[in-house]
Amino acid sequence: MKLVRIIVQIAVLFIISFIGEEIQSLFNLPIPGSIIGLILLFCGLSFNLFPEKWVEDGAKFILAYLPMFFIPATAGVIQYPSLLSFSGAVLVVVVIISSLATMAAAGRVSEFFQRHDKEGER
Amino acid sequence: MIQAMFMVILTVGIFLVMGRVYRRLPNPVLVPVLTSTVLVVAILLVFNIPYETYMTGGQWIDSFLGPAVVALAYPMYRQRQVLKAHMMPVIFGVLAGLCTALGSGLLFARMFGVDRASILSMVPKSLTTPVAIPVSSEIGGIPSMTIVFTMVAGFTGIIFGPLLVKSFRIKSSLGRGIAFGSASHALGTSKAFEYGERTASMSSVSMSLTAIFGSVLGPLFVWLFHI
Repeated sequence: MKLVRIIVQIAVLFIISFIGEEIQSLFNLPIPGSIIGLILLFCGLSFNLFPEKWVEDGAKFILAYLPMFFIPATAGVIQYPSLLSFSGAVLVVVVIISSLATMAAAGRVSEFFQRHDKEGER
Repeated sequence: MIQAMFMVILTVGIFLVMGRVYRRLPNPVLVPVLTSTVLVVAILLVFNIPYETYMTGGQWIDSFLGPAVVALAYPMYRQRQVLKAHMMPVIFGVLAGLCTALGSGLLFARMFGVDRASILSMVPKSLTTPVAIPVSSEIGGIPSMTIVFTMVAGFTGIIFGPLLVKSFRIKSSLGRGIAFGSASHALGTSKAFEYGERTASMSSVSMSLTAIFGSVLGPLFVWLFHI
């Protein structure tokens, strides 16, 4: 029974994603349709238009297997062997430095605003 | 049709086996998505299977990315109290992280003379992979290169994150969570769990917000700077 519920709920997520994509192409937005779907579902849940129970099991299931869904797209690197060369190594270094800077900025800025927060808990 | 089915079964099978391997040996280098991808690529190379042939089945798996992104609304909804209680630090922390990711990526890429296609592919690197893929194709990047970059961003958080938060004296669970989630999405969140539940939930909220804001700011950034 639970399996049926998971399948139906995943179908619901597919439909929401499809609606998001339709909205994207209708208004010619640069945001991915799936993100529009995410915002739609979040609003639906927050305003109690959409009960949590309708997506709970399906969402948990699909998120548990999330990494599996990007294996095919990742395997696409096979078409770009240059990534394994020296220039590829340079790109990796750039991404590492930029990610470290990102972490530092996000952490410091959030702590700065936290101090101005009433709660200021640790 | 049979060929496509075979590719799906192959991928799912490899992923499930690698999941078991990871549970036995929980080392960050052995995360299932990494080992599975390496195996799939190895199989394609050894048996001389073109990527297009693999994608006859691969595209079925690909089609789950859209609903998976929609599903992210659920954990975000569950954590709405955390988000409400720390609105300012979360939003400004995430925005600072995002601007730094975009700006420093472009700056260093220009410094090292990186080509345009790679720069574009780098733009969504701090977003969670299922969102980074469509953003990359939207702005004219190469999605599979973007995925490699998002993985590198994720592993940077796992490997260097603990040292970085220490040296920048980011001490609160809030600051640490936002740092991990903003720079290293889901992989960073998995590391944030080691600091406790609160750090992990801050990281998860930051990851979702980075994905949402990033899908708007990424294309805007490309347009503004004429990349």
